[in-house]
Amino acid sequence: MRRLLRDPVATLGLLLVLFAVVVAAFAPWLAPYPEDAFESHLLQRLQPPSREFLFGTDYLGRDIFSRVILGTRNALAVAVSVVVASMLIGVPMGLVAGWRDNWVSDVLMRITDIFLAVPQLILALALGQLMSPGLTTAMAALSLTYWPFFTRTVYAETRRLRGALFVDALAGLGASPSRILLLHVLPNAAPAILVRATIGMGFTILTAAILGFLGVGAAPPSPDWGLAVAEARQHLPESWWFATFPGLAILLLVLGFNLLGDGLRDVADPRLRRSRR
Amino acid sequence: MRLFATLLAALMLFATPQAGAQQRPLVWGDTLPATLDMHAVFDVPSQFVLLNAYDGLYRYQGNDLVPWAAESHTVSADGLTWEFKLRPGIRFHDGSTMTAADVVYSFQRLLALKRAPAAAFTPVLTPENVTAVDERTVRFVLSQSYGPFLAAMPIVAILNPRVIAPHVKNNDWGAEWMAANDAGSGAYVVNPANYQARVSLDMARFPDHFMGWAHNPRAIDQVRSRPVMETSTRVLSLMRGELDSTDSYLPTDQVERVDRNPRTRVAQDQSMRVFLLRMNNRKAPFDNLDVRLCFAHAFNYEGFNNIILKGLVVRNAGPNPNNLWGNPAGMEPYKFDLALARQHCDRARAAGAPLGRDIEIHVQTELEQTVQAAQMFQADLRRVGVNLKIVPNTFAGIVTATAAANTTPDMWVHWVSAYFIDPENWVGQMYDSRFHGTWKASSWYSNAEVDSLLTRARTSVVQAERQELYAAATTIIFRESPDIWVYNTVNLRGLSRRVQGYSFSPVGSGGELRLMSLSE
Amino acid sequence: MARYVLRRILLALPALLGLVLLTFVLVRVVPADPAAMLAGDAATPAQIAEIRARYGLDQPLWQQAVTHVRQVLTGDLGSSIFSGRPVVEEIGFRLPATLELTFVALLLSVVLGVPLGLLAALDHNGPVDQIVRLLSVGGLAIAGFWLAIMLQLVFSMELDLLPLRGRMDVALGNPPRFSGLFLLDSLLAGRFDMAGNALKHLVLPAVTLCLPGLASIARFTRSGVLETLQKDFVLYARAAGYSPFRLATIYVLRNAVTVTVTQVGLLFGALISGAVAVEAIFDWPGLGTYAVQAILAADYKALLAVTLVVGVVYAVVNVLVDVVQALVDPRVAEQLK
Repeated sequence: MRRLLRDPVATLGLLLVLFAVVVAAFAPWLAPYPEDAFESHLLQRLQPPSREFLFGTDYLGRDIFSRVILGTRNALAVAVSVVVASMLIGVPMGLVAGWRDNWVSDVLMRITDIFLAVPQLILALALGQLMSPGLTTAMAALSLTYWPFFTRTVYAETRRLRGALFVDALAGLGASPSRILLLHVLPNAAPAILVRATIGMGFTILTAAILGFLGVGAAPPSPDWGLAVAEARQHLPESWWFATFPGLAILLLVLGFNLLGDGLRDVADPRLRRSRR
Repeated sequence: MRLFATLLAALMLFATPQAGAQQRPLVWGDTLPATLDMHAVFDVPSQFVLLNAYDGLYRYQGNDLVPWAAESHTVSADGLTWEFKLRPGIRFHDGSTMTAADVVYSFQRLLALKRAPAAAFTPVLTPENVTAVDERTVRFVLSQSYGPFLAAMPIVAILNPRVIAPHVKNNDWGAEWMAANDAGSGAYVVNPANYQARVSLDMARFPDHFMGWAHNPRAIDQVRSRPVMETSTRVLSLMRGELDSTDSYLPTDQVERVDRNPRTRVAQDQSMRVFLLRMNNRKAPFDNLDVRLCFAHAFNYEGFNNIILKGLVVRNAGPNPNNLWGNPAGMEPYKFDLALARQHCDRARAAGAPLGRDIEIHVQTELEQTVQAAQMFQADLRRVGVNLKIVPNTFAGIVTATAAANTTPDMWVHWVSAYFIDPENWVGQMYDSRFHGTWKASSWYSNAEVDSLLTRARTSVVQAERQELYAAATTIIFRESPDIWVYNTVNLRGLSRRVQGYSFSPVGSGGELRLMSLSE
Repeated sequence: MARYVLRRILLALPALLGLVLLTFVLVRVVPADPAAMLAGDAATPAQIAEIRARYGLDQPLWQQAVTHVRQVLTGDLGSSIFSGRPVVEEIGFRLPATLELTFVALLLSVVLGVPLGLLAALDHNGPVDQIVRLLSVGGLAIAGFWLAIMLQLVFSMELDLLPLRGRMDVALGNPPRFSGLFLLDSLLAGRFDMAGNALKHLVLPAVTLCLPGLASIARFTRSGVLETLQKDFVLYARAAGYSPFRLATIYVLRNAVTVTVTQVGLLFGALISGAVAVEAIFDWPGLGTYAVQAILAADYKALLAVTLVVGVVYAVVNVLVDVVQALVDPRVAEQLK
């Protein structure tokens, strides 16, 4: 942790993420017009930023500042649930596949390859049609396409660790494979998983925004950022504020996660750590 | 490195504009249909191909039906036997002459393929009942009389069987070939080599078109149709001069900007395209009249039409467009009145209508207005204690869902466009229970009296009588408020100022190229 | 070596078969029913049922799946339900457009990403390193669709420098069709005006699309270079008096190439996904727009084919990447045995 904080760029990332978490937690109290999550005020549509509406208003007269704040919850909720769901699928598969070189391992990794080969957005779009489009669908689609990355990471880590001296020692003492995997291999693979998860958060927020933009993500009137940019595109360039602020919000939060992930990677990766002397 | 030098040289070369260019082709930016086979597709974009590459026996010019490939027609007193007389000397693009046999072939192909454009004819017409009386006379014998028969005539393109014949595979009537080729007689000839479905369609003027070109001395010689997916890109391309037209549904917020641009203008024409919010009358709570009335009074018509859409639409009281015949006189549209809405909703709740549950409204995500209308409605319904849930969907998805009452959504938002100009296109196919299971009739409204009035109107060929019957049916339907009728569209097409002679028709949205010219 | 290549290809095959089945299941369970759309407005339910039967949509799902797999194995992807044309033909038009765009974007990411990564590594933890990191991570964070619209507004509308949409000015027509890559075809035909025009059209979409790739290539080059710099032979060379820059370019970069090549394989998938939104905004007639159109129209034949083709392209690219890697670094081939 201390090493992380010594890295100014990673610290910036951490601050951005923490800021977003705080905003999300207190969103209804921070937003000046929390009812604008659903309320429309036709007479004040598309007003430029002013003291009353810091980020201006959208095409239904809703305060964009409030909606950007309220949308933080959405973004974080999507990121966390997708990453957790992907981990729940991907990590066990990686552990099992990486433990021994046998047919189980082969089958698992081939399945992983199949899912890696499916174009992510197209799968998400198709799924969006399959179930009715909406945030849940988008999250399911993203989890379904993101877990292979965890499998790959954990697979590589497990293979690396299974040859380690302490694993041999444990096996020699008669510890069961599941015990070794869960209590010894997994904790050692945790840093790599953490890095992957952090980067996955940023990636997920971005992809969810693209889905919102293409109309299969969050459903209106949700204050989703991607959806807001999609709604705003027809009002450019006159109502520039409509697309700009939600777009910036996406940028900052994803940037935060990516910087943090980048910093964590440097800390976690032993090879790079060595170079840090 | 050499490659780089070549590229650089290429860029330099491009920087000097080529001189001596002749008339720049017209670049049409409206949506293209999925296929060029006019017997396989029937939607708003297909009208562009139908009107320009093909001819039908009759055609809409403005709001009027005029004789086209046929010079006249007769109908028997019982309305069953129709005879159409072809104009002499109509040439197909290959130079051969159009005969009655070609018309017979075209209808037989249409009826055999049974795709969308056949739907208006299959209930009343079988292939063997279309015959050639002589070289220039075609006879149709209907199995029952059908009032809109003539009005639906422009739907059918007359094809040239001689160019199709070599391409017929497994008895498919040349369907695969026709999807990307031209077998027409229309004012413009398709260049199949450059055709790519939904991406590009190039056409050249057909000098031998039977209507001649005397009306338009500066007719357009070359047309490039380049549909643009994204609305924002489409509008920007027009303003930058990369396109000569947008589609005819320019977002109302862009109208002022396009008009202000020295290069472009907006053509505004009242169309026949009704925007409405559907309710599934078969499903609770919409089986309750009070609920439907509550909803009809909770929609902010003024706010939507005049503020969001900036008054660039016309309030429409009922299912038929205002500017069509067959509407009852003095129909006063429902008004936005939340107090009244609340009364109706309270009464419905007292009668046990389940207004506490989430009401789902399906919108077409790619069409912004449907989303805006739903969001605005949602905010207002909340004030009368109703929770509306917006569900993004596509037209394809909604059409599928409307095949059965129990899968049809509670509500959905769409337009009913002019496929042919007759009340049958709107009130007839929307509220007669015989059409249940199609998207047009997806409010699942059913009323025996209305059914009988609409059937009589459909089978009559006497205009005055039909007018009365449609008005009577509409009056009843209006009172029962099965749907929320919002506006009749004013088509807004962005055009470059060099386009002259653009003339609008509700069928085809003014895409008839014959009449246009370029000033430059 | 040949055996390695063969083995690598064989390994990809079961994955592709799995892909065929998976996509079928996903796409065909989509509730949208093309039959109702085909039949049109005034069709009666009976007419819709008839059309459904004609296209085999009424058969049990497993039977449709068997038919589908059999057709795919014989190279027949069927006809688009809506356009009525063979899907293979339509994809034949669309795939080159997407490949051209992704290839140029990939080239941009490598050409810009490698030097950036190198610079960052040489100034490890210094200000250049931090700036490059911020920039490259920022590239990964920008939503492509948002950037695309902004670029259009600035470079096409305000500065009037670059075209807004499409692959070529309409007035120029298309180059003679050879590969379907407009840039290549124009050059082959000796039409430098067309090549220049195609290049101009490529700039904005390719720049939008290249950013995420650029970022990860810069990042991986950086760590690859850093790792190599620690290796013994580099330390010796350094002790022998080679300047770090010379070392970096000669020895280090060659070693870092392996890392970059691996990344290219992984990136390709991301690029094709990213192309969906970018193609839509720049009106690029590629596979992405095709997929969106297919979804809007419930044209499942087309959608299946797109998914499959993208999967195959992805698999081919990855096989190529592995082979190239084995050529650069023979140890990789050893590992697989």
